[in-house]
Amino acid sequence: MTKLQTLLGVSALAFAASTPAFAETVTLAAYSGIFQDHYMKAVVEPFMKAHPDIKVEFYGMPNSAQMLGTLRAQKAAPQIDVVIMDVSVAKAGTDEGLFDKVDESVSKNVADLYPAAHAQGVNGVGVTFDNLVLLYNKDQVTTEPTSWNVLWDKQYAGKVAIPAVPDIQGTTLTIIANKMAGGGDYKKSVEAGIKKLTELAPNVQTWDPKPDVYAPIANGQAALGIGWNARAQVYAKSTGKLGVVMPQEGSGFQINTINLVKSSPSNKAAKTFIDYALSPEAQTAFNEEMFYGPTNSKAKIAKTSRSMDKMIDIDWIAVAGIRDGITEQWRRRVIPLSR
Amino acid sequence: MTASTTIDAAPAMPRFALGRAGTATALLLPIALINAIGFLLPVLNLLRMSFNEALAGGGIRETFILDNWTGLFGDSFYLELIMNSVSVSLGITFLTLVVSYPIALYLHRSSGRWRTFLTVLVISPLLTSAVVRTYGWIALLADQGPIVKTIAALGITPPRLMFNTTGVVIGLTEILMPYMILSLLAGFGRLDPRVEEAAMTLGAPPSKTFWRVILPLTLPGIALGCLLCFVLAVSSFITPKLLGGGRVFLLATEIYDQAIVTLNWPLAATLSILVLVIFGAALAVYARVLRVIE
Repeated sequence: MTKLQTLLGVSALAFAASTPAFAETVTLAAYSGIFQDHYMKAVVEPFMKAHPDIKVEFYGMPNSAQMLGTLRAQKAAPQIDVVIMDVSVAKAGTDEGLFDKVDESVSKNVADLYPAAHAQGVNGVGVTFDNLVLLYNKDQVTTEPTSWNVLWDKQYAGKVAIPAVPDIQGTTLTIIANKMAGGGDYKKSVEAGIKKLTELAPNVQTWDPKPDVYAPIANGQAALGIGWNARAQVYAKSTGKLGVVMPQEGSGFQINTINLVKSSPSNKAAKTFIDYALSPEAQTAFNEEMFYGPTNSKAKIAKTSRSMDKMIDIDWIAVAGIRDGITEQWRRRVIPLSR
Repeated sequence: MTASTTIDAAPAMPRFALGRAGTATALLLPIALINAIGFLLPVLNLLRMSFNEALAGGGIRETFILDNWTGLFGDSFYLELIMNSVSVSLGITFLTLVVSYPIALYLHRSSGRWRTFLTVLVISPLLTSAVVRTYGWIALLADQGPIVKTIAALGITPPRLMFNTTGVVIGLTEILMPYMILSLLAGFGRLDPRVEEAAMTLGAPPSKTFWRVILPLTLPGIALGCLLCFVLAVSSFITPKLLGGGRVFLLATEIYDQAIVTLNWPLAATLSILVLVIFGAALAVYARVLRVIE
């Protein structure tokens, strides 16, 4: 009894001692795993140091869809203040009235963002840019490939890992393949791209690499694949077997947006955090930490020479409208050819 | 204080005079409540969701349309998906039965410490999560894995064992075996060794004893095991997701994709209700089989 009382007393004291230090707690929902580790280190911790009265609680979730699901469930009484999620999912959230607008009244930094960070009909703004890259295993592919065409090389039959649609890596590959095949505007038709992908299908080992595309290529289960640059660079640094290439034909962007949840509990502190997350110093720090491209034009890019001119300008909001059709084509015409 | 006097004043009546039906109701009430809140309500919610409209890009519009249902049955891809799910699950159930039956029979006949040891061996895989066991299969079935290497060493071109239906069938069969063995053991109660001996004494060869005596007596266990494994096979999604390589389209993996990746909750809800209907059908078949056996 006395032991319990002491314990309760101590924990109550500890609680009392810890709470007054933070006037407000901002709950940030974003990707769990390596994103969380690096974002905490490069952005959240420096923010808390600069704002001792605000505590940021990182609520990690494996993907954007799960974040949207959580926000939907909490619509009547939100528990999350800020969400970092993929732009097309953020569009769905905006349509459902889950987000407040992030504009210059929230953060002066919004004025300095690249035009691509503003997506039509999305209340949040871009906070990171990423792009699709070619991945290869350095033991199995001895000369560094320069073109996406290596994926089609018969030499690597049964050795290619492609995260298929509905994953947006598959969608991005469709748009790249469409450009390589001379298919014209992807918003009108991706027929040429789909046709090119049917030729890739027999080479594919898995359309659903697990736990992600980087691990099976790093450990030699697959020889080639496609993935996102930021994560690929982090894994490449830690394993040494994973090669990362920005192919000569160019690539496509992925955009993560930062969103302010409507009627969230700590609205004012949330705006302060968003302002910091969009600032040149936070953007530079996260780029140096995890290779994500900054969306603030004033951020200094130290690592990875980004070649903006090589990027296909993917309008993810328009793609959301044609995504079902692309998925259908993959499932009926592309994937069956690899059985 | 006044309360106690009223009780004392009341006529001498048994305190829980609820009657048989009343007692049954009182005992069932908690579980009925839990089921209503924890199962029935969400299922009704799901049913409602299946009539909503999915907007491009993952939005949901609250309405009442039949599009999800008509779309499902008017689309060859989904018809094939449903057929594929049911047939693959039936195949897995049959395979699980074939490999589990001899083990269960042996276990049933063994006794003492040996039996306890064997039972623990059968149950022990359940102590590891299906995810871990599936990753184990990935290591075994991989292109550079031991099984493929052994087949290649024999001079045969090894078939693809993973990232296709074969892989899913192998993985799920092993994962479902403990459930099958335990159900079979539970249903083997009527199998009396003396009946077998009687059959043999009367001159029946072992094969005839098996087909005419042992198998009919163990049918209740077979029915139970098959029902359980079929239901588990249709609803399992981790193993098909990991071993299917994105080529094997099954109901459970499709529900996951629609709910988590494409955010088409109405379609995911429709497919989920469909799985429940398939379970209902499986239960009906089970009830009918039991009646025939009796």
